[in-house]
Amino acid sequence: MTDAIAHPSVARLDTQKPKNGLVSRYWLLATLVFMVAVFAFLRPQLVDSSNIATILRSSAMTAIMILGLTWVIAAGKIDVSFMHVAALGNMTTAYLLAGGHGWLVAGLVGVSVGAVAGLFNGLLVAVMRLQPLIVTIATGGICASIAAALGKGTSIRIADPGPLGDLIFTNIGPVPVIAIAVAGLYALSWYAQEKLTFGHYIFATAQSEAAVDQAGVSVRNLLMLLFVFSGVMSALTGVLLAASLSSGQPMIGSSYFIDGLTAVLLGGMMLRIGKPNVLGTTTAILILAVLVSGSALLGWADYQRQIIKGILLLIGVTVAMRAVNGRQSQHAEAS
Amino acid sequence: MTRTFTLPAGSGRFLAFLLLVVLVATAFTLAEPRFLSTQNMSAVTRHMAANGLAALGLTFVVIVRKFDLSFAGTACFAAMTIGYLIALGQPLWIAILAGIVVGAAIGAFNGVVISYFRFPDIVTTIATGSIAAGLAFVYSNGRTIFQNFMSSGILDLNDARVFGYSLSFVFLLGLYAAAWFFMHRTRYGASFYATGENPVAAYYSGVPTRLYTMLAFVACGITCVLAVLLILAESGTADTNEGANLLMPAYAGVFLGTALMGRTSVMATLAGTFLITMLLDGFSLLGIPFYYSDGVVSAILLAGVVFFDARLREFLSDIGSFLQPASAKKEKRS
Repeated sequence: MTDAIAHPSVARLDTQKPKNGLVSRYWLLATLVFMVAVFAFLRPQLVDSSNIATILRSSAMTAIMILGLTWVIAAGKIDVSFMHVAALGNMTTAYLLAGGHGWLVAGLVGVSVGAVAGLFNGLLVAVMRLQPLIVTIATGGICASIAAALGKGTSIRIADPGPLGDLIFTNIGPVPVIAIAVAGLYALSWYAQEKLTFGHYIFATAQSEAAVDQAGVSVRNLLMLLFVFSGVMSALTGVLLAASLSSGQPMIGSSYFIDGLTAVLLGGMMLRIGKPNVLGTTTAILILAVLVSGSALLGWADYQRQIIKGILLLIGVTVAMRAVNGRQSQHAEAS
Repeated sequence: MTRTFTLPAGSGRFLAFLLLVVLVATAFTLAEPRFLSTQNMSAVTRHMAANGLAALGLTFVVIVRKFDLSFAGTACFAAMTIGYLIALGQPLWIAILAGIVVGAAIGAFNGVVISYFRFPDIVTTIATGSIAAGLAFVYSNGRTIFQNFMSSGILDLNDARVFGYSLSFVFLLGLYAAAWFFMHRTRYGASFYATGENPVAAYYSGVPTRLYTMLAFVACGITCVLAVLLILAESGTADTNEGANLLMPAYAGVFLGTALMGRTSVMATLAGTFLITMLLDGFSLLGIPFYYSDGVVSAILLAGVVFFDARLREFLSDIGSFLQPASAKKEKRS
């Protein structure tokens, strides 16, 4: 089983003409609008400019972290080490700052640690062809351990959040600067994914690695690039979180695990059904952020949100599977 | 595969495993003489029980070539269910039965949607695991449950001994023996392997592949409850994250075992779990801080997967074939 996410029957439909219905293509966006409307009706504070800024800022962080992950999953692999790589980048930065280094050095080293982790994942998955789930569970565990060891099991305080801290908390109107930057980043990524051969190769790799290789494109290099990119983006988020929280938190990763995967996989249920894509990811991140903010305003407990997220993910898969089955007459035999 | 020189598959691997165990044990004993004490050995066997049970169910799922990421969440929910019923004053067996039913139900749900409705396994089990972990908070709003634990008799599960070994370890061995017989000595076990190897061929050979895939998930749901039951008995309280630590050792046990023994099997998982438990226990005996334990398990897992990789073995056997005397090459390589 090389293909971690796309189910055989999901993969099979792509050989046919895509004629996704309007509903199945845009239901996620409709859900976002509906959720904002309902929460805003129940709790008007949701659309306060300060709350909007908070939602956008936290969404921007998540969005940077899982941009690389989106493409890794789109290429039919999986990376469950991303949140621990972010924690490692976070702790490395905090550790260096506490050791008296400047923000420039600390931040750069923090990001490069992510590149190293990504390179390692890439080597094991793309070159040695090992199972991506097992490999990234293991590398994630190692990253988490190193992150905890840097702080001897506890968090590291950062005295001065530095210029990054200022940047993160600067708003233009209700919109944080970082959200604008992330929007630009995602626009670029969308262009790369839809208009450049790069994106075609990603989705083609999920279909058949052999075919992509036969066509003269090195799957190995592509996967390598994707894993390194994923590692760098996760670690970059870790560095940004260090600035925004003024501390290094070794356990910061765990809260992003379910959210990150849910966002990517839910996003894969929009526009290109069954294929994670950057616009879908953006929408799903916003849905999760609105859900968190709105339910906090309504006084829901954390576990209730978690249950809702899980159900949302299941609904997403169901919608995608229905879209597949509706288009396909039954392949009733053994899957 | 007619190679003139291949590393032997069955007994050779077992001997290599034994050698590895002896090496590790010797290294630990040299560093810390208490390692071989009966007290430590009984601790190893007890720790092994919980991890081994969770890994057993996962073995079934991995054999049918699926993944289950939900069992940690399932274990949390089942643990709180058991704790809640004990706190209500229900008899112990009812509480345990309810926990097992919870595990089986979640496993059955996973199995049905993945095998019959062909949902993608990783996504679906992440979702159900997340829901189950959330449901664990429902009974007590996240508070630890400890009422009636003393009087319920659940602690006896931890303290009871059979022939000097803890009951949990004997239970583990018994269950593994049963699973081994089922998987490797009956046609049902062969059907599990067939489902994993080639579902289409298995289907046309009369194996109800979907049923087997579903049953694998049910087995995984049940064994993770049994694993968390032992943890409950040891800690004497039910916590909402009681089962969260099962995920990593279970995956490590299954895949390290696969790497060691060449393919996923019941005995391979037992071997992998044993090695990991021994290493973890040894490191904690040496006073290595808790936050390294996940890293140690991960590093062992990674090392096992990389160094026992089939391609690396082929590479080595190729080198071996170059080094043989020319007259010994009787058959051509295909």
